[in-house]
Amino acid sequence: MGNCLKSPNTDDISLLRGSDAGPEVSSEQSANMGPPPPYQESIPIYHPSPNVSRPANQLTEEEQIKIAQRLGLINHLPTGVFDGTSKKAKECCICMEEFLLGDMLRFLPCMHTYHKDCIDDWLMRSFICPSCLEPVDAALLTTYETS
Amino acid sequence: MTNIAEARIRREFKEVVKSDEVAACNIKVELVNDTFNELRGEIAGPPDTPYAGGQFHLEIKIPETYPFNPPIVKFLTKIWHPNISSVTGAICLDILKDQWAAAMTLRTVLLSLQALLAAAEPDDPQDAVVAQQYKENHSIFEKTARHWTAVYAGGPKSYPDLDSKILSLKTMGFEEHQARAALSSKGWDLERATEYLIN
Repeated sequence: MGNCLKSPNTDDISLLRGSDAGPEVSSEQSANMGPPPPYQESIPIYHPSPNVSRPANQLTEEEQIKIAQRLGLINHLPTGVFDGTSKKAKECCICMEEFLLGDMLRFLPCMHTYHKDCIDDWLMRSFICPSCLEPVDAALLTTYETS
Repeated sequence: MTNIAEARIRREFKEVVKSDEVAACNIKVELVNDTFNELRGEIAGPPDTPYAGGQFHLEIKIPETYPFNPPIVKFLTKIWHPNISSVTGAICLDILKDQWAAAMTLRTVLLSLQALLAAAEPDDPQDAVVAQQYKENHSIFEKTARHWTAVYAGGPKSYPDLDSKILSLKTMGFEEHQARAALSSKGWDLERATEYLIN
């Protein structure tokens, strides 16, 4: 279960670090460096409830299930790229920046639009729309029922 | 501080500064330092309340995780209100705790605090003594709140009878605020306040 929650890019980062320290290190330098640092993988931090922050490996089983379900639900919400055609959505009210051409957006069932990164970070803490406070899961279920 | 928090506070700061409420002298925000993680707020006491005519100063701290977590706000001006600690200035308001949403701003927080001054929620108290007085002896509560507004927030109303009670405790050697707090929590009963201060 714990493995599902690791962020997918941690492996890539460790590979990059490995290649940096590769052939350019001279034997003299490596002698001064001492033993290599212990293998460290940055552990992603999750927020099982709004004011709680915990590394992935310290979550209770219940919290892990909640977060896994949450990740699944978020992935069901439509995304898109800002192309300037929408007259309604102009700025992301989480970061308060205007949408720029090419920005990744996510659309909530209540029709509010945010930067994908901004809203995903919020939804992992609280599953309501930050603008209208509509619970996102309730709205998701209604869209499934009507379609 | 992460970029999103600082960038947002910069924008919000501008928003508050040019808002209509500032023009009407209702709310105000000032920077404390140039890192945008601490601010000073100011709200006017709403009209037709015991806080009318007072200016209340607030300490606003911006967490690194803002706007995903709410700003940390407390009253610097001493105030007599069921949802605000008369000792520490700590505030009990849902949007500063679990009802926070990322689209809320400094402006909405200050306006909500102003609304809290106009409509206390004694059943969800921060200061139990004040809340009990609010419910059981409302006229004394209003008089006390007006008196605190006059003394600490520059409000207009003065009560010579309350001032003389404080003076008599001061002549007994008690510090003025200590005397005022004791009298306020004991319904301005000089005997009970003295007893409370001695014990």
